[in-house]
Amino acid sequence: MLEPILGSRNKERILLYLHVRKEGYAREISRFFKTDLAPIQKQLERLENGGVLYSRNAGRTRLFGLNPRYPFLGELRTLLDRVLTFFPPDERDRLVKVRTRPRRKGKPL
Amino acid sequence: MKAVNKMSLGELAAFVCAHLRKHGIAAVLSGGACVSIYTDNRYQSFDLDFIENIPTSRKRIKHVLVEIGFVEKDRYFVHPATDFFLDFPAGPLAVGSEPVREIQEIAFPTGRLALLSPTDCVKDRLAAYYHWNDRQCLAQALLVAEMKEIDLKEIQRWSSKENKSTEFQFIREEFVKASRKRHRS
Repeated sequence: MLEPILGSRNKERILLYLHVRKEGYAREISRFFKTDLAPIQKQLERLENGGVLYSRNAGRTRLFGLNPRYPFLGELRTLLDRVLTFFPPDERDRLVKVRTRPRRKGKPL
Repeated sequence: MKAVNKMSLGELAAFVCAHLRKHGIAAVLSGGACVSIYTDNRYQSFDLDFIENIPTSRKRIKHVLVEIGFVEKDRYFVHPATDFFLDFPAGPLAVGSEPVREIQEIAFPTGRLALLSPTDCVKDRLAAYYHWNDRQCLAQALLVAEMKEIDLKEIQRWSSKENKSTEFQFIREEFVKASRKRHRS
């Protein structure tokens, strides 16, 4: 939906993913959208260089998130919220409805 | 002109800023280097972050900086005669979600340097403290307040716009103390 503005479908995917999930890493994002890893990595780097994303290391994983210091963050989030309303309900649920509370190791479902 | 290896951070920043300006590139010094300048190097930075007011292509910046001996290495510009290095983070020139309205100018023997005002420098450091919980940046903001006159009311207004009023209330007294220290010395 934002591809004509952003010039890249993967950029839109990354922004939507991080808007909803707060943080994520390249492989996780590429798996979620069933797309190749390399173009996701490339766009993550571009967005980070542009100040839109931040990254931090958690163990050996490089986590990305929307940069709270990006001056247009509020407007970007509003736009992404609007895009989400156009998502098919099942796709939106797949992105939004994810368990984020902790689960003790070994606990049966 | 002083040799690059003899230049202080401020002198080098002014030298680079003046050279860029000569080529029509308006860049403003931001980040930790401003803290260094305002605190007479009580906080030492080696990273000179320049933000362009009007974006220029990387290729053009590279071309202009080569004339004064800076070469691109990774995403930075380095000079063989100094440990200071230049970075051009993506703009716009902003503190948090607000544009920078007042740009300070300081004259050095090497040129005129455009940089954040002491108040905006404090905001810039506080943005890092508020969003990343970086206490080093809070310490830097307090150092600036000890050395330079800052507008605490403006910082309070800005903090509130950043939705950080509560956080500001916790640190307000530290800024008042820092200002008192400045008045005493």
